[in-house]
Amino acid sequence: MTDDTYKQGTYRPSEQEPPKPKPIADGVVSRFEHVLEVDPTLMRRFEQQYQPVWETKRIVDSRWEHLRWMHDHFADEVLVAGEESETGAE
Amino acid sequence: MATKPKSGTRYDPNADGRLQEEFVEKWRDNAYGCFSSGHKFCREVCPVMQVTHNENHSPTAFHANIVAMEQGQVSVEDVADDYVHCTQCGACELRCPNTLFTGDFYRHRTETVKVVRAMRALMIDTGLDRQNWQVWNRLTDELKNEPVLGVGNGQPNGQEHVRDWADGLNIPVGGETIMFVDCEAAFYRTSIPRATAQILQKAGVPFGLMQEQWCCGGPAAEMGYVEQSRAFAEHNVADWRAVGANRIIAIEPHDYIHFTEDYPAYFGESFDFEVIQILELVAELIRDGRLKLEKPIDRVVTYHDPCRLNKRKGIYEAPREILRAIPGLTFKDIDHVTQWSYCSGGGGGLPIEKPEITAEISRRRVDLAAELEVDTLVSGCVWSERPLAAAGSEAGIEVLDIIELVADSAGIEVGERKGP
Amino acid sequence: MVTALEDSVVEELGATLEEDGAVLTNVTSRAMRARVPAPFPVHRWFEYMPQVVVLPRTAEQVSEIVKFANQHGIPVVPRAGGTGLADGAVPLRGGIMVDIKRMDEIKEIDLVNRTVTVGPGINMLKLNEQLRKHGVMYPDDPASYPCSLVGGRIGTGGWSLLGARYGHTRDLVVSMQVVLPTGEIVEIGDGGGRKLRKSSTGLNLKQLFTGHQGTLGITTEATLELVPRAECEFAAFFAFDDYMKAHLTTGTLARSGLATLAGVVLFDERKLAYLRRDDEAYIPQPDWVVSAVAATLYGTRAEVEPASKRVMELGRSAGGKYVGDEISWGDWASRHDRYATPLHGRLPSGEVVPMCWHCEDAALSYSELPKVREEWHAIVQRYIDEYGIFDDWGMFAYTNSAYKPWGDYLVEIDVGIWEEKLNDETWAGWVNLKREIAEVSLRHGGSITACHGATRVGDAELVPTEMGSAWEVVKRVKRALDPNNVMNPGKQMLDEAYVSSDGDGSG
Repeated sequence: MTDDTYKQGTYRPSEQEPPKPKPIADGVVSRFEHVLEVDPTLMRRFEQQYQPVWETKRIVDSRWEHLRWMHDHFADEVLVAGEESETGAE
Repeated sequence: MATKPKSGTRYDPNADGRLQEEFVEKWRDNAYGCFSSGHKFCREVCPVMQVTHNENHSPTAFHANIVAMEQGQVSVEDVADDYVHCTQCGACELRCPNTLFTGDFYRHRTETVKVVRAMRALMIDTGLDRQNWQVWNRLTDELKNEPVLGVGNGQPNGQEHVRDWADGLNIPVGGETIMFVDCEAAFYRTSIPRATAQILQKAGVPFGLMQEQWCCGGPAAEMGYVEQSRAFAEHNVADWRAVGANRIIAIEPHDYIHFTEDYPAYFGESFDFEVIQILELVAELIRDGRLKLEKPIDRVVTYHDPCRLNKRKGIYEAPREILRAIPGLTFKDIDHVTQWSYCSGGGGGLPIEKPEITAEISRRRVDLAAELEVDTLVSGCVWSERPLAAAGSEAGIEVLDIIELVADSAGIEVGERKGP
Repeated sequence: MVTALEDSVVEELGATLEEDGAVLTNVTSRAMRARVPAPFPVHRWFEYMPQVVVLPRTAEQVSEIVKFANQHGIPVVPRAGGTGLADGAVPLRGGIMVDIKRMDEIKEIDLVNRTVTVGPGINMLKLNEQLRKHGVMYPDDPASYPCSLVGGRIGTGGWSLLGARYGHTRDLVVSMQVVLPTGEIVEIGDGGGRKLRKSSTGLNLKQLFTGHQGTLGITTEATLELVPRAECEFAAFFAFDDYMKAHLTTGTLARSGLATLAGVVLFDERKLAYLRRDDEAYIPQPDWVVSAVAATLYGTRAEVEPASKRVMELGRSAGGKYVGDEISWGDWASRHDRYATPLHGRLPSGEVVPMCWHCEDAALSYSELPKVREEWHAIVQRYIDEYGIFDDWGMFAYTNSAYKPWGDYLVEIDVGIWEEKLNDETWAGWVNLKREIAEVSLRHGGSITACHGATRVGDAELVPTEMGSAWEVVKRVKRALDPNNVMNPGKQMLDEAYVSSDGDGSG
């Protein structure tokens, strides 16, 4: 599970409307911490879907779970350098 | 322009192909979102494909057909049978990189379940109903519940019997919190609602039942009978309002899906009910000490992640927390990501039209459990338990619902009936 | 529209397969098996359908079907996963499509002699899920790892992301059973029995039957290598302010002599720019990051841990900056999933449209990489400017040789194509683009295709050029094994094998 343990088993309609996007970079916005999205103005020819908050959380959580699974599928232990980013982006 | 017929009537509007054109127009982006990739990450996780190996049944084909329709090369009649081959488990649309890797970024994901439902609705609107589904939904409309016991031979169907499972439990009707009991639990595996109700009572969670408990309408939606689904939803919501409910406990994954996806889609902002999935509530009750599990259960178990909890909703931790809290249990787990490709075959109307495929999917699921050398396969979905239990009895593995285990460990005499 | 075959033909196929639903003639069954994920002339979809689809379960059934096809002069097109990136499984002349997905059993696991024998319809990820409990794996790991099937990997001569460590498909298949174009079932290996790896008896045929793109037969069973499951995996990504420093570092890592090195990947400037569109690992990177290098290790902890220190040193040796643990961890595990998402596509205006992913897969020497990148990007830009429906998704270069990371590179330019806008004119434009790119590879002493196969228009015409003096031998072999040209005809210019030397087109 991700650190943000969103309770998928408790559905509150009032919590489902996504927050307003904030610009992050060229063509990129963000509504949730650590979750990036395309600038909606670029999606004119191919429309976005309505994606309630729980749906976004489910996709993000599932992605992290999948990545964990993929590491574990190929090796018993995953080593990383144990060092911080030198590009300042993490 | 041809008027849309009532569901279930035979009608052929395709003299001008208008309905098919509208369908293609509506689902075009979905179709090209898949077709432009075509990499088929979906195939290996699809429980139907694992059995049939027929590319016609792949989610890729479900989307590509729409492009072919746009080109006028294929009609709904050509593809109708293919779209029966789906349990709507959601594995494909979750595993698809268009969802898993960029679905949140673009606010556009693969929506195979919606595509399949929409095609099934088009089949009905063009007079191409599947016979068994048509009968099933007609009976549901008559009984206001799914005919899970069959009809005839004095089976206790319908409203006079929908609360029979609660005999002796003194559950009030109405209140702020309603426990919604789906048809399979209310009529077939009545141990589940009895166990759930007594667990909630023991933990001091107040709840009531509906005045008129109709089918949630989910199966009708899955089989393409959209108008019927909506009519049932309207009834249920009216009933909830009539008794002052603002919180619905869904004890069954299909209902949880339906109340958190279809009902909000039908009613928009006016749908203001909080919906609780029972396993998350029970995990909380155990964690908070409001439900004590003291009786050891001497079983070696593995857990079947219901598709509609795990894949469709991301609910996989709560049931595991529950199982780990049951004393005496040996729990051999298969992780929830591996289980993206597992299924019982019980959903999406598949057992009604293609029971042999459901049986094979369940047989394979039980085989995977048998490899772990367990005596019990525990599920969190009543609809999965019928086909799994049938396969389990062949393999010498008992199939139980997680709620039944919890009730047992909480010292509750459920007074059960598991199936007729 | 390709019409279905005559009823008598269908009946005979049905009698061979003896199973309901194993012979499919309806339009959807055939239409759904016309394409593979590579860019496709959608506007002419129905010209590429097979005439019938068969779903066999045994080598004997496949053999009967192929013999029947020879008797009647009907083309045969083998199809495994349908996940290839050239057009190996796309029928060019209708015919019988042999869809082998039902042949997916694990037939034998031999932990003593370290082999697993399988049907061609099994997927590697699913196979490895079964092998895990025995502490072994079959390490053939392409981007299509979750979707491609063993038979297709053999047919295309696949490439693995772990190839520098474990080898590629052709190094990992010990032997196979093949139905020849004339229908005989033969055992093909290095020599000796099914589980023998190295032999000098007779003529060595195994490589001939790997990477033939379904033109020399249909694999009906394969015996594969089992390697010990890796104790440890390590990945590190380095960022650069200059492509040439990244290129230098790629070579340094590739020549490091580290035995556990599974691969080194070089990302060029356009690739970084493309990743900044929608990849959460690259969007937040500072502007100076214009190029990147990734290196991965697999093996025992005793080997990988010390080797990882060396990788960190070498990765930094020309100014590379470590991007951090989280990205190194996450980006490596994403390696199968990031490629094909259609919404990577951007029009020149910046708007998002779904585009089909073309993955060029030249094999080139290290020295050629910087120049080829310049030439390729210039070509793609010309076509973007002219047609407006293409998009440059940048380039990767991966260590290509099995066990020899210092060897050549799989060099990939990823081009997006707005498929729904294809018509004869834009398709012709695409084919020209494809051909220009391939010609660059040949001019730089490379190969048109490291692994996908050269079965596509735009590539195939260049096969004789690339084969050079070997082309005559290739034609002789094809004609000898497939006298009636039934096995995937029209692919790789092999029709030339049937043109007599005085050019009268006989055969």
